[in-house]
Order: sequence, then C-alpha cells, then structure tokens
Amino acid sequence: MNHFPQAWGRPRDDVYGAYDASYLHDQNGPKAHTQSPIVTGTSVVAMKFKDGVVIATDNLASYGALARFTNVKRLRQFNTRAVLGFGGDVSDMQYLDRLLSSLSIRENYSAYASSADSADATEASAELNAKNLHTYLSKVMYKRRSDFNPLWNAILVAGLDGDGKPFLASADLLGSTFSAPSLATGFGAHLAQPMMRRVVPNEAAVANTTREMAEKAVRDAMKVLFYRDARSMDRYSIAIVSKEGGVEMMEDEQLEGQSWAFADRIRGYGTQVN
Amino acid sequence: MTSIGTGYDLSNSVFSPDGRNFQVEYAVKAVENGGTAIGIRCKDGVVLALEKLVTSKLLKPGANKRIATVDRHMGVVSAGLLPDGRHFVSRARDEAAQWRRFYKGPIPTSALANRMGSYVQAYTLYSSVRPFGVTAIVAGWDSEAELPVDGQVGAGPAVGAGGKKEGGKQGGPFLYMIEPSGLYWGYYGAATGKGRQAAKTELEKLDLGSGELTLEQGVKEAARIIYVAHEDSKDKDLEVEMTWVSALDGPTKGRHEEVPKELREEAERLAKKALEGDDDEEEGAERMQE
Amino acid sequence: MGSIFQGAPIPEGPGYSFRETPAVRQAPGPSSAAGERQHGFYPYTDNGGSTLGISGADFAILAGDTRSTSGYNINTRYAPKLYKIGGDAPDTPPIALSVVGFAADGAALAERLDTIVKMYRYQHGKPMGVAACAQRLSHLLYMKRFFPFYVAAILAGLDESGRGALYSYDPVGSYEREQCRAGGAAASLIMPFLDNQVNFKNQNVPGSGQGHALEPRKPYDLPRGTVEELVQDAFTSAVERHIEVGDGLQMMIITRDGIEEVYRDLKKD
Repeated sequence: MNHFPQAWGRPRDDVYGAYDASYLHDQNGPKAHTQSPIVTGTSVVAMKFKDGVVIATDNLASYGALARFTNVKRLRQFNTRAVLGFGGDVSDMQYLDRLLSSLSIRENYSAYASSADSADATEASAELNAKNLHTYLSKVMYKRRSDFNPLWNAILVAGLDGDGKPFLASADLLGSTFSAPSLATGFGAHLAQPMMRRVVPNEAAVANTTREMAEKAVRDAMKVLFYRDARSMDRYSIAIVSKEGGVEMMEDEQLEGQSWAFADRIRGYGTQVN
Repeated sequence: MTSIGTGYDLSNSVFSPDGRNFQVEYAVKAVENGGTAIGIRCKDGVVLALEKLVTSKLLKPGANKRIATVDRHMGVVSAGLLPDGRHFVSRARDEAAQWRRFYKGPIPTSALANRMGSYVQAYTLYSSVRPFGVTAIVAGWDSEAELPVDGQVGAGPAVGAGGKKEGGKQGGPFLYMIEPSGLYWGYYGAATGKGRQAAKTELEKLDLGSGELTLEQGVKEAARIIYVAHEDSKDKDLEVEMTWVSALDGPTKGRHEEVPKELREEAERLAKKALEGDDDEEEGAERMQE
Repeated sequence: MGSIFQGAPIPEGPGYSFRETPAVRQAPGPSSAAGERQHGFYPYTDNGGSTLGISGADFAILAGDTRSTSGYNINTRYAPKLYKIGGDAPDTPPIALSVVGFAADGAALAERLDTIVKMYRYQHGKPMGVAACAQRLSHLLYMKRFFPFYVAAILAGLDESGRGALYSYDPVGSYEREQCRAGGAAASLIMPFLDNQVNFKNQNVPGSGQGHALEPRKPYDLPRGTVEELVQDAFTSAVERHIEVGDGLQMMIITRDGIEEVYRDLKKD
C-alpha cells in the first residue's frame, strides 16, 4: 500500500514509463484560430430597386467539394427592415446569427420603453436599421481580423436605412466594407455582378428599376451561378425588403426554366446521369 | 403578530418561535402599497396590465414604462419597490440570455419562473441582505412551433431518427407570480399590489380555467379590472400600461409587446363605461360583454 | 504533511507522472504534436485606387478616385477615400484626410483620428491645429508599428497663418509637410507629373544661359484654378494607364470658408 494518497491510481513510472503528454496541447503554444473555413456557403447576390432590395443565396453548405448540407438557409432576417446574406464559413455564420439575435433581444428590451409616447415616436424608428446593423457587423469583423481570429464570411446586408431608402452593403473577413447598387460575393462577383450591373449601373438607375426587374435579374443571376459554380445548387432562398412589404422571405425556391441545351452532347449533365 | 417587538423581526433569515420570517412579511407589506398589477392567461396569449398612479403633473404621460421585456417572448410586471423590480428584471434578462447561450433556444416560462423563484428566495436566507420588496408577474408564450436551435441551419431529418413527431403539442401561454418569499405558482389569473383583492374577485368571475377567454377579450377585461381595483383610490390620477404576448399566428407573433395604443384606449373607454354602468345598477352583476 | 497534498514529487521511491503538460516547450518537429504553425490568414488586402494632395497659398486640395477593387474585380464604383476630420463646428479649422491602400484600415484610421480631434476640442475647449493633428496622426500610425495600418495617408488643412498645409505619411507614421504628394496605386504615375508641374522640376527659365548657367524655374504658389486642372489631368491620365484607378474623382478643397466637395466622373473601364 502506497502511503501517499496522491499517488493512488497512478501508473508507476518505473513500470509504465513517464506519462507521455505529447498529445496534449502545449499551454504555451500558439492559440488556435481559424486558418481556413470548413463548411462553406457560396455566393450571395443582391441588388437595389427603387423602393427596396432583393437578396438571394442558394441553400447549399459544402464541405470542400462535397455538397454536405442541402437545406441550409443562408439568408437571415434581422428585423422588419434588414436581411443578411452569408457566404463563407457556416459555423461562423451561426455564431454571428446568435450574436445578432442577442443584440436584437437587447434592443427590444427598451424598444417601446425608450419611446416615451408610442404616438410621437414610431416603433420602427426606434429599432436598428440595415445601415446601423452593417456598421455594427463591420466593426465585429474588423475587430476579429485585427485579433488574427477572423470570422470567415463574406456578408451582404440588405434593407432600408434610417430614411427608409434602400440600403445594400458588404462586410467581409478582413473588415472591408463597401456599398453599391448591386453586390455579389464569391463566384457571384464574377458571374452575377455583370448581369445585375446591366440593370443598375449606378444609383440613378436604381430610381427607375422596379421590384419585378430586380427580382428577375437576381433570379437569372442565381441560374447562371448554378450553371457555372460547381459549389452551388438549384434550391435557393430569396428575400425582398421594401418599405411597404417589410421583409418577404422565400426560402425554398426552385430554379425555373433551366436550359441545358449547351450540354447537348455532354453526358452527365442535368437529369442525364450517364 | 405575537412575536413583534421580541426581536425576531430585526434580522433577515431569522425565524420567530412560531415559524415566521418577519422580514419577508414586511416585504409583502411593501408590495401591498404598490400600484395594482395583474396578468391574465387567455386561450391564445397572456396579458399584463398595470395601474400607474400619476404621482406628479411633471411626469410626462406615457413615459417611464414599467412592464419590461425579458426575452423576445416574455414580459415581467411587478408591484412594490420600483428599484427592486428593476433589479428583478435585470436578473431575469440575464437568466434568459444565459439560457440562450447554453441551450441555444428561448427559455421556457416555467424555467424562468423557477430560476427567479430561487433567486428571490436566496434573499431570505442571509442577514446581510433584505428580501425583494416586489411581487412579480411573469407572462410568456412558449413557442408551439418546432423551434430551431438559435443559429441552426437546415431542417433536420424529416423522418426516422431525429424526425418529426406528428401531432405533438407543445408550448402555449404561461403565467407565473413570484412573491418576496420566493414562492411562485402558475396562475390562470394573477393580481398583486394595492387593489389585488378586488382584482382577484374580478379575475375569479372570468372562469379562466376553462380556457375560453380570447386574448382580445383578455385585454378588455384587464383594463376593466385595473379600473375596478382603482376604485378605492379614485381621487388619484390613473394611467394603464398593458402588454401582451400571443401565439405565433396571433397579433404579436409570439413576441412580448405593448398593446397597441388604439386597442388600449378602446379597452379603457369600455372599462370606464362598464364602471359607470355598475354604479347605476348598484350591484355589479352585469359584466361587460363584447 | 501539507506538502504531500500539494502534489510535490516524492523524494524517493518510484516516480509517478503528476505533470500533465511538458515542463519545457517542445521543439517543433515531426515528433511533437504542438509545434510552430503558420497562420493561414493574411489580414491585409489592397483595394487599389489613388490619392493626391496639393497645397496652395490659402487653400489645400485633396483628391482621390472612388473605385474600390479586389484583384481584377471592382467592388464598387463609389467608395470615398476622403474623410473630413474633427466635425464641422463653426470655428473648427477644416481638416481632411485621404487614405489609400487597405480600405478597412483606412476607415478605422480616419475614424480614430476624427474621434481624437473631436475629443481634443471637448477636453481643451479649443480646436486642434493642423500641425498637432498631423503629429497625432503620425503617432496613431506608429502605435501600430508592428501591425501597421496598411495605408498611405495624406492630411490637408490650413496652418496657423492660413496657408495650405499638406502632410504625407508612410504606413508606420513617418511624415513630412510637403507642397504636393500622390499616394496609392498610381502614385508612381502621378508623382513625376506633380514634380514637374508643381515644383517645376526639370524646368528652366528659357534663355537664362547655357550649361551650368541655366537657371531652374522657381516654383511659386499656384492659383486654385490651375491646381484643380492639374488634379483633373493627373487622374484622367492615371485612369488611362492604371486598371485600379477610375470611376469617379472626388475632391476636397480646403479654404478658410470650410471644405468644398467636388465630384466628377472618370472613365469606368
């Protein structure tokens, strides 16, 4: 019997050798940060029209080249006047989603308590608009990149600004931000942007772009992306934010009117498997 | 109170020989002076209503809201010491947020009541603290929908392991009242504050147990009850604050919100009318019917 | 007895492994699990674009194109690189900052400087002079010497005597007051042009002599109209030869009356 209680149950070094701690993380070693995204979403596309914004993503989350999750909603509604579209790492997207929902809960603690009289301060003007949300989000992203611990996403914020005018802006893992009449992340920057820029080349063109025109351009862009982006799929989500309609979210859209004529002689495309 | 003056009421957490904790009982006294607060659990939601006595003409009407939102789907109203009520709300918000961080979903109303009950009770145990001078009413709607985990993506399997159970019933309206002792019960209708006796009498008449009262009716009854309970201190000016939380397909979509101004004013108008009617008929047997 | 329970090794007898982590950090190598690793994340990008500043007798001009790029992509055709600094309270001397390089750092830097200049006013009850502001900006940049703001900054304002003041910076805070400076992607295209047209480099007074007797043309304060034309010409030329420059030209003209903002289109190709 060993008389030292702290030795009980421990293997003797002379029998088993010293404990091999090499598998354990070195306490003084480098802190683990995201080095690369794991499960990823592809492009986000969005464009403004005269009284709102259309935004879309497909419903796929890829694991490298594997189409891993086929029913993942990458558009998130923040409130009645802001929608986010996430590209990049899905777990970071989930983190941001939780962060933003806790923010929205905290905002709503005082949503009506701060407006002294609900008659003279409208409910809507008290809550965060898309512009506020984008500012907050871009600071989170920039802080994390400055800590060398990035949130591996490219995000589009679509909605209305403080004046109720259409707002569309981007934020990414580096904390870079920019705004334009149409925006697209990832592959969409190459394929969807030219299509959308044809409709809204500048802010002036936004004023005479209808909701139908914008929605068609975005849906067409989603189709082209499905044709040419290998990490995309034909089920997608689209949201329309406008002053009148608030947020209309459609999360299970099917790409209509596909044409695989160009692949006439190529086997393995579309419904033709071999 | 046989033990008054014998020293057993001087320190918190000390029992008197006949098994009472006087400090807690004094806290209840503090509550009994507060403006009346009630909650009504209806078929499709919960209403909270509060009688606010206008203590000064210098206060802006409609400002200084006292019914608080604790989480998206939950609200708290309290009667008694106002600062104690705010601390209660602050703690409740922390609990709700912590629950979300831990379980990635909204806290059930029962769980919040339980945690807050424990918290309040802890303030009866130590001589270094005093009990809460509030009785709080917690109203919540636990979602009837199959809730996604916060931040969840995808819908999960449609069938098989982890698949959906058909026809499972969950969620609904909940109402709890937490007293200074830490005691809490779930209620169909709850009332506290100065006019609680009158309010309880009125609540009992509503037959809430049968679950027939709709939320809209509940709002009107709540306003009326606040006015009835106010009768005794009629000389003072009154303001009614009301919030509600409904089902996902109801007016608030499962969220705790202020009752819209138009509806509240309509309810107050009817309440005043009903009271005048009562005066005419001496015995208030006739209840307002919408 | 107490020491037994503190996990001290027992002096004699068989040894036991109490330590769960190695005492000495292991050298990186194939056998060790925890070795040095390279970061897979590069925290910078170049958003292209170009800026330019010229100072005059009683004004200073800052200009920048509004294109923002990622590689060959155009992020947007309107992303201003020019920031007003210190708010616009009545007696505040006008100060403007241009930043080009990594736009996120640029925006962060401008916001910090803006806050500092505003706070200075609250704390001292007087506005910050442009010279103080210029030095503070240098400190801001140098504070992050080992994780720099990846930007070329130009600060413009009016000095205490009302002359145009222009300060240019490298990413780590080295700075100098100058007559003119170009920054960013097309700096190497614009700067020689400015040397020649603002400081009259390689220009001589005609007929002043032969060889060493040839007199260099003396620079003088250019009038505002001339400077605006120079800026316009510099950018239209840069747009022709640099793919990251284009879309729009934003100018801030700083005079004692405040900051005048001008926007003109540039080629969008």
